[in-house]
Amino acid sequence: MTPDNFFLLATLLFSIGLIGIVSRRNLFVIYMSIELILSSINLLLATFSRLHGDMHGSVMVLLLIAVIAAEAALFLAMIIHLYRLKRTLDSDAFTQLSKRDVL
Amino acid sequence: MLENSIFAILALFLLMGSLGMIIFKQTLFSAISFMLAMLALAGMFALLQNSFLFLAQIMVSVGAVVVLSMLVIVSVNIKEVNLPKEPAKFRWMILSAVLVTPLAMLIYKALTHVHTVFEKTTEDYGSLKMMGATLFHEWVLPFEIVSVLLLAAMVGAIVIGRKEQPYDS
Repeated sequence: MTPDNFFLLATLLFSIGLIGIVSRRNLFVIYMSIELILSSINLLLATFSRLHGDMHGSVMVLLLIAVIAAEAALFLAMIIHLYRLKRTLDSDAFTQLSKRDVL
Repeated sequence: MLENSIFAILALFLLMGSLGMIIFKQTLFSAISFMLAMLALAGMFALLQNSFLFLAQIMVSVGAVVVLSMLVIVSVNIKEVNLPKEPAKFRWMILSAVLVTPLAMLIYKALTHVHTVFEKTTEDYGSLKMMGATLFHEWVLPFEIVSVLLLAAMVGAIVIGRKEQPYDS
């Protein structure tokens, strides 16, 4: 159990989250991938906090957990709103702000 | 030795949970895998001797965020036909994995330049007392900003989530 193992794990989590955002079209999966990326940052900060032996990184993790909670509340409200609009969870269905409908 | 095996088991659960989250088609299964990953992450915090973060992760991320997501998924009650059709899902995944790999290798190389090992920590590392002292001596302003952010998020969620009503009634 060296710091390198934790770094590798955080990198893998970040990559999996990024792959999830790029390759899936389900709104819920995109939301959970964003949370996974934030959680990988949490793991990284906690590892650095343990390396330095002081609590600054841990305090940052605590604040980031609060930000994750706020993001979850907003994102879930947004998903419910979008689902009521079009009765689908497909992220490709929502093109009101893109040029595709205008052209 | 014991720590190493616990780390291996937790890492396995973490990776399996996060991979399952992006692979499953049914949304509820994704949420359950995500909960597994978050629980394993809480175990990682415990391995890093950070008992308070372990509790906070379990209470907030697992207890509030994931359970709230599951409640939303169940209450939205998505039919099979309303799920997005993703015929080329695995092809997209492989393509994006190939694209993400260089970035991940760069991040890992940059991180492992810190050539250090975990040293033995002081007696009260990770305790609630030390956490509170750091939080309220040096991180008071970010703490207050986060509280305002939570208030704004709550108001925003209520406004976005309620049913559409005509404005002049």
